[in-house]
Amino acid sequence: MLVTSTNYDEIVKKILNHVKQNAALITIGEHTEIDIGHLIDELNKTEIKFMGGLFPKVIHGNSILDKGIVVNTLNNMESMFLIKNISSKEYSIPKVSFEDNVDYSILTYVDGLTSNISNYLSELYENYGMQTNYFGGGAGSLSLEQKPCVFCNEGIFMDAAVFGVLRMTSKIGVRHGWKKVEGPFIITKAQGNVIKEINWRNPFEVYKEVVEAHSGKTFNDENFFDIAKGYPFGIIKDGAECIVRDPLMVNENKELVCVGELEENTLVDILNGNEESLVAAAEEAALDSVNQATQPKKAIIIDCISRILFLENNFDKELNAITSTLKNQFSNISVGGALTIGEISSYGEGFLEFYNKTVVVGLFE
Amino acid sequence: MKVENHILEILQLYEYAMAIGKSLNYKESCDSFLKLILKRKSLNAAWILEPHNNVLKSTYALPFGKDIKSNNQEVLEKLNKIQNNSIVETTDLMSSIAPISISTGKTIVFNLNNHGFLFLYSRKDNITSKDLNQLSPVIQKFAVHLKACRAFKEQEQLLHNLEVQNQELSDYAHMVSHDLKSPLRSIDALTSWLKEDYGELLNDTGKNQINTIRSSVEKMDTLINGILEYSTIGKTSVEIFDVDLNLLIDEILIMIQIPKNIDIEKSILPVVKGDKYRLQQLFQNLISNSIAYNDKEKGKIEIGVEDKDQFWEFYVKDNGKGIEEKYFEKIFKTFQKLENNQKSTGIGLSVVKKIVDLYGGDIWLTSELGKGTSFNFTLKKEPNGTA
Repeated sequence: MLVTSTNYDEIVKKILNHVKQNAALITIGEHTEIDIGHLIDELNKTEIKFMGGLFPKVIHGNSILDKGIVVNTLNNMESMFLIKNISSKEYSIPKVSFEDNVDYSILTYVDGLTSNISNYLSELYENYGMQTNYFGGGAGSLSLEQKPCVFCNEGIFMDAAVFGVLRMTSKIGVRHGWKKVEGPFIITKAQGNVIKEINWRNPFEVYKEVVEAHSGKTFNDENFFDIAKGYPFGIIKDGAECIVRDPLMVNENKELVCVGELEENTLVDILNGNEESLVAAAEEAALDSVNQATQPKKAIIIDCISRILFLENNFDKELNAITSTLKNQFSNISVGGALTIGEISSYGEGFLEFYNKTVVVGLFE
Repeated sequence: MKVENHILEILQLYEYAMAIGKSLNYKESCDSFLKLILKRKSLNAAWILEPHNNVLKSTYALPFGKDIKSNNQEVLEKLNKIQNNSIVETTDLMSSIAPISISTGKTIVFNLNNHGFLFLYSRKDNITSKDLNQLSPVIQKFAVHLKACRAFKEQEQLLHNLEVQNQELSDYAHMVSHDLKSPLRSIDALTSWLKEDYGELLNDTGKNQINTIRSSVEKMDTLINGILEYSTIGKTSVEIFDVDLNLLIDEILIMIQIPKNIDIEKSILPVVKGDKYRLQQLFQNLISNSIAYNDKEKGKIEIGVEDKDQFWEFYVKDNGKGIEEKYFEKIFKTFQKLENNQKSTGIGLSVVKKIVDLYGGDIWLTSELGKGTSFNFTLKKEPNGTA
């Protein structure tokens, strides 16, 4: 359900009517003209359990919106948790009892602009392992200024994550559509999200050589992101699609600052994509989820904000490809979601990873 | 294409190998290496079982799962047959030694050089003999590193135990010394009153006996002070200052009253960084010894120094009785005396050695019976901050 009203009573009423006795997943576009803190206070006057995040844009059906509140019902919510201090790693993951032969799904929103998100995901997997599916994304502002962006009954927070454990079957498709241009390269020196050396050389020099040769464009002081948004890095996996890392800018030491962490000695390719490959990948992600699902009630799309920055006006084609694939198979399915700063899923139910420039389609039954 | 694949495989091995040895902590080492393998190979779980007295116990699991403690001999026998590595199907037997619930899929089992077994599990059967062959050499390296982690932990435990025992011993020495001083003070006071109040009633033998008691009490007091000093060296942090050894030695020579038959020759000494009190103890003990054990009509003591780059090398040399070589090490041990000298407590040279050790230096001696002894010691020019 999409709520466009800015009247708090009306918003609360609509959310309550939609989710009834269940918990709510509230996904809000960052330009929505409401005070989230006030909305939380109003919601807390009722008995509703809720979690959510502020995102650059939200998805409802076939629309992408800067403003608006997308509400999803979280049926069979077992428990909901807030984890603070993601960057300092000073937290512990609460114990959860999972019953045998029951399908569980964990839905999580994390501050996409904080550091050590990979550690948070690793901690989740260490504690809950294969007993559940994982699905979610990075919240935050497109301005890349870190501010409070994930919320729950306890308030709105930055450097934090919220997650809900649902007794619910989910089927997930994950694709990105970026293809190798050149590689492998070794990230010989890195710190957090900064690549300090590639193949023991200055990273920008290496990157520039490959990208300029492939694109026919030349980097200058002002066009780094314009070119780089089409040339991400891909962390090489054995026999599976690589994990994309998005170069954001060059710092004063000519090092590459990325969205998401890279560890030293990681093997990467330099990738490139185009409208066709990206749209095809989005359709495949939808198809992967559709092919596994039997009776999904809702679809949640977690699509990277940088894909819209790359595809620009053609992003409609990507969203159409996803929604039409879903609707073809399940005509009554509700579709919502967000354009995120980083995407979360367990690839093929394996170890949990934080992606960039990727589309994740989740079908919930 | 084939060459490209080979290069990629070699680089993957490089990535895996570089994740080994980042820490000497067992869990951190496992995390660093095994999380990478799980991510890169899209596997679901990893765990390690180690045998202890024919019982297999889990020492690491990712995800955590339940603790495994199995004395199933059939399992042990089967695992022991795996000399290097093997891919096994999920059976009831395999499920029984998995920390997580598994019913399908495959597991690679690696023998960790007879120090346990590493299990890598895939629910989707995406493990092949290629993975097995590729991972075998790095797992061997990982096994060696785990051995180092265990040894490091044992060493840490040993060090910790030693620290605790040392502290207990030091506390004990401190406590006993304080407790001993109290009755000693009483004896001293009582014999003093006895001498004052009943001195006239005592004959010479009685007076001599009281003097012997008081002299023994004095000696005991010196001994206890020595133990206290010895047990506090290195226990307290102090400010380090520049100490002019020329002034320090002059002060010592005034304090200890040099007999007339002893001639002291002092070279120009440096200004050193350290704690003045400890340096005074160091030199005073050596000079006092040189005086106490000098049997010559014209005694001579030389105090000097040589610059040895990172260190100063000092010497206190005398023309005294000399020391037999067999005692060169023994004399630095606590309560060791070479002769039954009433004034000696047997603790002075132990204090000297402890102070030199504390300053990161070394002490030794050269000696010739009847001709004299030279005590040489080094002091670091930049010492640490304890004294």
